[in-house]
Amino acid sequence: MEIYVFVKQVPDPEAIVKVKSDSELEIENKYFTSFFDEIAIEAGLKLKEKTGGKVTVLTVDNRRVDALRRGISMGADDAVQIADPALEGADQFALARTLSTYLKDKPFDLILTGRQAMDDDAGIVGPAVAECLGIPHIHSIIGLEVDDQKKEAKVLREVENGKESLTCPLPALFTCQKGLNAPRIPLVMNVMKAMKAQIKKVDLASLGLSLSDVSPYIKIEKYVPPPKRPPVKMIKEDFPENVKTLVKLLREEAKVI
Amino acid sequence: MSNEIWVLAEHREGKVKKIAFELLSAGIEFSKKTGQEVAALLLGSGLEEAAKSLTPFADKIYVMDAPSFTPYTSDAYLASIASLIKEHQPSILLGGATSTGKDLFPRLAMHLQTGYAPDCTGLTMGEDGKLIARRPLFGGKVFAEMAFSEARPRMATVRNNAFLVNESPGKSAKIVPVSSQIDPSLLKKKVTGFEKAAGAKLDITEADIVVAAGRGIKAPENFKMIEDLAEVLNGSVGTTRATVDEGWRDLKDQIGKSGKNISAKLYMAFGISGAIHHILGIGTCKTVVAVDTDPNALIFNYSDYGIAGDLFQIVPALTEELKKVFSTE
Repeated sequence: MEIYVFVKQVPDPEAIVKVKSDSELEIENKYFTSFFDEIAIEAGLKLKEKTGGKVTVLTVDNRRVDALRRGISMGADDAVQIADPALEGADQFALARTLSTYLKDKPFDLILTGRQAMDDDAGIVGPAVAECLGIPHIHSIIGLEVDDQKKEAKVLREVENGKESLTCPLPALFTCQKGLNAPRIPLVMNVMKAMKAQIKKVDLASLGLSLSDVSPYIKIEKYVPPPKRPPVKMIKEDFPENVKTLVKLLREEAKVI
Repeated sequence: MSNEIWVLAEHREGKVKKIAFELLSAGIEFSKKTGQEVAALLLGSGLEEAAKSLTPFADKIYVMDAPSFTPYTSDAYLASIASLIKEHQPSILLGGATSTGKDLFPRLAMHLQTGYAPDCTGLTMGEDGKLIARRPLFGGKVFAEMAFSEARPRMATVRNNAFLVNESPGKSAKIVPVSSQIDPSLLKKKVTGFEKAAGAKLDITEADIVVAAGRGIKAPENFKMIEDLAEVLNGSVGTTRATVDEGWRDLKDQIGKSGKNISAKLYMAFGISGAIHHILGIGTCKTVVAVDTDPNALIFNYSDYGIAGDLFQIVPALTEELKKVFSTE
C-alpha cells in the first residue's frame, strides 16, 4: 500500500504561548510532533508492516522538519517538506490545496493525519484535501482495518453517543484520534539515522501553483488573550458547613443549579 | 441571493440538539442588526417533531427528507447541502462543533471555496453585516478573532453554551420542503453498525453539568460516588488523561488537550491537580468548582470556587445536600 501521512511540528502543550500584539504571538521554543499526527504515523506503519508498501510523511512548513524526522525515526520510508515564502501565514485551505496538488498524480491508497494539529486546533486540512482529491474521508477514527485486496477500509469512529462502524472504499483519507493506537517510541539508533535522512523539498512553483492559488478564505484579524476568570473563592469553613456554602453559592451567586 | 442566516439543526432520535437552538437564537440577534432572515436546515426522515420544535426559532425551515440522511455521512449531506446553498446563496451557515460538524464543515467549505472558522466560542455581527468568529488556538492559551473572505456563505462551527437559548424567539417558521435526489454513486461510505455508549447520559461535550474526578479518586470503583453526584445534578461524568491511561475510565470521557474540550455551565473537578493538559479542556466552562486536598493545587487558579478538602468526605455529603435542597423545591 502507498500511504501518505500529513504531520506537523507544533508547540508542546507545556509551552508558553502569549499574545504579543494584535498580530503576533510569543511562543516558547518547545516543540513536538503533534500527538494526533504521531497516531497517524503509527497507523500507517502498522498497515505497511501487514501489507507491505511505503509510508511517506509530508509537512507544509517553512522552518521545521522535526515532525518528518520523527516519522522517519519511527519507520517512515520517505519525507517531503513543502515550503515556500508564499505559504507564510497561509490558511488551512491554502495548505489543503498545496498538499492535494502534490498528491494528485501520485498513486496512493490511503492518506492519514491527526484529527487536528495541536496549534491551530482547526481540523480543516484533512477533510479539505479529501475534497480536493475527490476521495472519501472520515474524521476522528479510533479503529482501522484494511482489506488490501478489496481496497476497502473498515473504520470505527467516535460520535457523541457511541461508536459508529463504517466501510469506506480506498483511496480515502482518515483523521486519527487517540485510542486508535499507541505510537511507538523510536530507537535511539533510528533517531540518529533520521537526523541525517534526506528530505525532499518542494516549492509552489514546482507544483505549478502561484500566489493566487494560496489566497486565504479566513484570516486572523486579531489575537486576544483568553478570558480571565475572577480570582478563586476558597470556601474555608470546616466540613460539613463548606458543602452547604458551596451549594448555596452555586444556586444563589453562580446560578448554575 | 437570499442573504439568509442558516443553521444546520442536528438531531438525534427525533430531538433537535440544544446547540441548534443556541445558534438560531444567535441568528435572531444578528438579524435584528441586519434584517436577514433566519433559517434552519433539517436533514433526515420523520422530521415532524424536530421541525415543530424549531418553528419558533426561524423564519424558514428547509426540510430534506430522505432515508440516505440517516445515519449521517458526509457523502449524502455534502451533496444535498451544497446544491441548496448554490441555489439560495445564504450569507452565513452555522453548525455545532460536534462530530458531524467537524466532519462535514471543513469539506463543505472547501467544496464551496468559502471560509470556515472551526470550534468557535463566540461570533459577533457588525452593523455592516461583517461576521467575526472568535476561536481558541493552542488549546485555549490564546484566542483569535477571525474574519472571512468575500465568498459565501461564511461558515462556522460553534461550541455549546456560547449563546443562550432565546426564551421567547417569537418566530413562526415556514416549512420549505426540499426534494433531495442523491446520486447513489456519491454514497461511498456505509455505516455498518453503531455501539451506543453505556448509560443514557449526554456526552461531556453536550452536557450542561460535568462532574469529574482524577487520580485523586484512588481506584476505579470509587467513581461510583462521582456518578451518584452526577445523577443528582443530571450531569455527565468526565475524567483526566491519567485515569484513562490507567484504564479506569473510557477515552470518550477524557477532558483536555488529547481528549475533549468541554463548555459546560458547571464543571466540578474532584481530586484533579490541574495539569495544563486538563486546564486547556475546561477554559470555556462557565463556572468551575475544584475540590482537592492540596491547597496549592494548580486547579484552584482556574476555578471560581474551591475547597481544600478530602473528596471522599465532600462528594457524598454534597450529593446528600443537593438531594435535600432539590427535594424541598
